[in-house]
Amino acid sequence: MMNKSGSFFQPSRRAFLGAGVLAAAMLATAACGGPAKESGGVGTAEKPVELRILANDGYAKQWQEQMVPEFNKKFPNIKVTIDGVPYGDQLAKTMLELTAADPTYDIVMADDPWIPQMASTGALLDLKKDAAEWTDAAYDWNDFNSAPLAAGEWEGVQYGVPLRSNMLMMFYNKALYKDAGVPEPTPELTWDDYMSQAPKLVRDTNGDGKDDTWAVGTYFTRDPLTPTVWQTIFNANGGELLDGDNKPAFNNAVGVAALQTHVEMLKYAPPGASTWQFTEPLEAFRQGKTATMFNWGSVYKGTAIDPKTTTLTADQVGIQVMPAGTNSSGAHRGIWSGAIASRGQNTEAAWKLVEWLSSSEGEVWQSNTLGVFPARTSTLDSTPEQAWLSPVFDALKMAYADAETGKMWRPRLTNSDEVQRILADETAVAMANTNDAAKALDDAAAEIEKALTK
Amino acid sequence: MRTSSLLPKKQEASEIPPPSRRTVKGGYSQPSRARLKFNDLLSKWTFLGPTTLLLLALLAYPIFYTIQISFSELNLATFAPKGWVGWENYKDAITDPGFLNSLKVTGIYLVLALPLQMVLGFGIAYLLNVEWKWRGLVRALFLIPMVVAPVVAGGVWKMLLDPLWGIVNYMLGFVGIGPLNWLGDPNLAMISIVLIDTWRWTPFIVLIASAAMLALPRDVFEAAAVDGARWWHTLIHVSLPLLASAIGAVFVVRWLGAVKMFDIALAATRGGPGQSTNVVNLYIYEEAFRSLKFAESSAMAVIVLVLTMIMTMIFLRTTKKLEDRF
Repeated sequence: MMNKSGSFFQPSRRAFLGAGVLAAAMLATAACGGPAKESGGVGTAEKPVELRILANDGYAKQWQEQMVPEFNKKFPNIKVTIDGVPYGDQLAKTMLELTAADPTYDIVMADDPWIPQMASTGALLDLKKDAAEWTDAAYDWNDFNSAPLAAGEWEGVQYGVPLRSNMLMMFYNKALYKDAGVPEPTPELTWDDYMSQAPKLVRDTNGDGKDDTWAVGTYFTRDPLTPTVWQTIFNANGGELLDGDNKPAFNNAVGVAALQTHVEMLKYAPPGASTWQFTEPLEAFRQGKTATMFNWGSVYKGTAIDPKTTTLTADQVGIQVMPAGTNSSGAHRGIWSGAIASRGQNTEAAWKLVEWLSSSEGEVWQSNTLGVFPARTSTLDSTPEQAWLSPVFDALKMAYADAETGKMWRPRLTNSDEVQRILADETAVAMANTNDAAKALDDAAAEIEKALTK
Repeated sequence: MRTSSLLPKKQEASEIPPPSRRTVKGGYSQPSRARLKFNDLLSKWTFLGPTTLLLLALLAYPIFYTIQISFSELNLATFAPKGWVGWENYKDAITDPGFLNSLKVTGIYLVLALPLQMVLGFGIAYLLNVEWKWRGLVRALFLIPMVVAPVVAGGVWKMLLDPLWGIVNYMLGFVGIGPLNWLGDPNLAMISIVLIDTWRWTPFIVLIASAAMLALPRDVFEAAAVDGARWWHTLIHVSLPLLASAIGAVFVVRWLGAVKMFDIALAATRGGPGQSTNVVNLYIYEEAFRSLKFAESSAMAVIVLVLTMIMTMIFLRTTKKLEDRF
């Protein structure tokens, strides 16, 4: 065949395109049925690797600005971009991203109950097996405290490692306790003690006839994290949300009493507290309006240290496990685990970041610089650079132990968010006093049973 | 020479009309009727085509995809529908107490919000139609709520209504009212949502109503004045009948907007306290994106779509009857 230029056997542009498409198709076919995909390496100066992380917007910016430059000192050829997503949208977006044929994100952050749901898509890397060949010999899996590490595990496979550990804990304002003549809390404080002291902590401090400080601030509104408060009370009294057959086991006297305690707390909270989520109790406590706060321990730095965000100082703020029930004191696990998309192009580089950040070196840096809680026993047992971290580490160790003993975490199921939302809905109904606690828990149990048998 | 080059060229032999053209008396040819019809259709679809394609892609496809999912099980591992489950998702939806409650909550919200917004909107438009000094400024200020995103409106109002930090209770305290737990009391929370929504949407009604009022024929009002009609009679017997079609149209537009409201509730109350402000679209959104029950929530969305269409048809027919009557 002769082409326009008049020469035989010289392929035309169309023929070139056709050959290109054919070659691409052949390559794609080979990739599907061929050997395992390349890990992408850790990059070179000429050809750096680009990683994308899908994280929560609460810490994405902090990580981008402070953690990434620190990581790049060790791995300068891995460029990292972190996208923050609001908590409420994060699971759905992560699931959508993970299930894409060519996922945008190499690393996804999973909140405590999400790993089973994400892992069920088959789109997460088995870190102990698939990443074993890239793992540094000094990386000690056994050094992790078992409670936070378990958040990244499902059905015997380690899909995530703790990168930002957190526990629901009790904060207290020492000055307000002293002014009210109430002894400062200790880990031995029980829920009965706490509730009997609460009325004394509601006070009119300026004598204008109106109360201006209150006993408690925490989650009360219709929010998936609100039930974590009564769940912790329930767990501290020996209760478990689901039995061995995954049937609801909370609609009983212990569960009702726990929920009633949570509802009762509203009486000793500031006006409007029934709409409070994460931020409002934090602001009220930081402004010295509430004597205690049940919130995530990671807010300690912003609550007691950083003058830009708080009116309080480390001397004024105590942190400890939540009051005790009949079994133990309480805490509720809230670990952010880092997991790697198995279909990602840069799995090795992704593991290098996750490995560094969860290593002893990364943890120590993160604790000292960002105030993020560690998960390694060696870090918790070390003497932190910042003096204020010492009592926090002590409280954290106790919280991990309580969480593990009392199984103080949200249900770990492939539809854990659905279960948690049902609990949130019914807790909210009890909180609004449109249902009593027993009826609310019966309704929640019925709905959850239906959801789990489907 | 330059000028002559701009003039139309003389018709060349090659440009003589083809033989298919009919030659009429007088020598020139005319295209056949079929060809004219074809050309007409072609030009119509040249303009309509892109829009139709866009509409199909942006509106019809998502709707049909939602309907497809509502009859399937959604595989979360691939995010694609798998397996036909018939009416199963619809059965789940109509037996879900949360969904039924959210329909009830939406009904309460619509019954409270729509009449309030219509009366306020047309009332304010009536006032703005009268000549007074600051009319232009007030009309401009009315646009502000419309440019605020609903989520922002919900968040800002949440702060304003907060019993601990908000300014509303502080101001009400001076006249001996409160403190009110605006968003924490189940009954007050719905009223608060209606008020926030009214703050945001009344200006829209005001704008349309003002335009409709400006377009009314002056001579009828002059005739009414000559006949000695009082303002009240003019309003009832002249203005309202003349505005009937505009009122109907605004009501339908506002109804369609109000049915899909969820962002204000999400930002201000998250559907609480309890379930008191959990409107249907918030419920569906949470079922889909929080509980990841996409198939069931699609069935719920289709049910709401059908209900909305039925109600809209009723409203449109009523509007038509009102127009015919006046």
